Amino acid sequence: MIGIQSAARQACDFGELMRAHRSMVFSVAYHFLHDRDLAEEIAQDVFLSLHTNLDDLESPAHAAHWLRRVAVQRAIDAARRRQRRPVVALDSLPEPSVRPATGDPLLGEMLRKLVASLPETQRMVVVLRYQEDLDPTEIAGILGIPIGTVKSHLQRSLALLREKLERRGVGER
Amino acid sequence: MDWLDEELKQALARKEPGADFDARVRRKLVRTTPRWLAAAAAVIVIAGGGALYRRHQGEQAKEQVMLAVRLTGAKLNRVQVHVQALGERQ
Repeated sequence: MIGIQSAARQACDFGELMRAHRSMVFSVAYHFLHDRDLAEEIAQDVFLSLHTNLDDLESPAHAAHWLRRVAVQRAIDAARRRQRRPVVALDSLPEPSVRPATGDPLLGEMLRKLVASLPETQRMVVVLRYQEDLDPTEIAGILGIPIGTVKSHLQRSLALLREKLERRGVGER
Repeated sequence: MDWLDEELKQALARKEPGADFDARVRRKLVRTTPRWLAAAAAVIVIAGGGALYRRHQGEQAKEQVMLAVRLTGAKLNRVQVHVQALGERQ
């Protein structure tokens, strides 16, 4: 029993967890807030909090789930503290005349800015769906909202993004 | 999966924080810990200092009382000698 406990504790090594999950924690905050400095600050706070709560985490999987949930909550709190949605100067974005190739950095940045302009819950749903590859059930669990709401947020967000992209001349291949 | 799904996956792919991220978290951890220690040390120093000060005050008061007793004793001795001298003269 003691062996199992110490093995679990060893599995929840702080340095190892930070190496394994720093990109997830940072990216949740970064894609949600579209502010690198603030996202780094939030990610640091999440890991400081992890250090305090390390003894309560039973396994690396539990730690990963805990980190994702706390990162989501801290990012939402930070956005609310900021008290305004990120200002996205869409007009200043260059408008590609043709559909760029997949993975085009220009289109990527445009999409990140468009995602950052979505309403709070829709934005987090999109981040968790496409960054973390979570299904609606998992997203509903993290955000504490019904699965149907997650699905409708996803549909609405995609429709909005598609419409804004098409308005800028970026359409289906 | 349509083209927008693919583009979103690529645009929202995980990114690494700054290169010294781990070091900065560890520095914050170190800074957080001594703050606790400093607060505890300050409490101990203040409480200990208070106790020492009270003890010092007590010793000073005791010395003053002893001095007063010694002065009074010396005066009483002188008075006694004086009274004895008067009695012998009579």
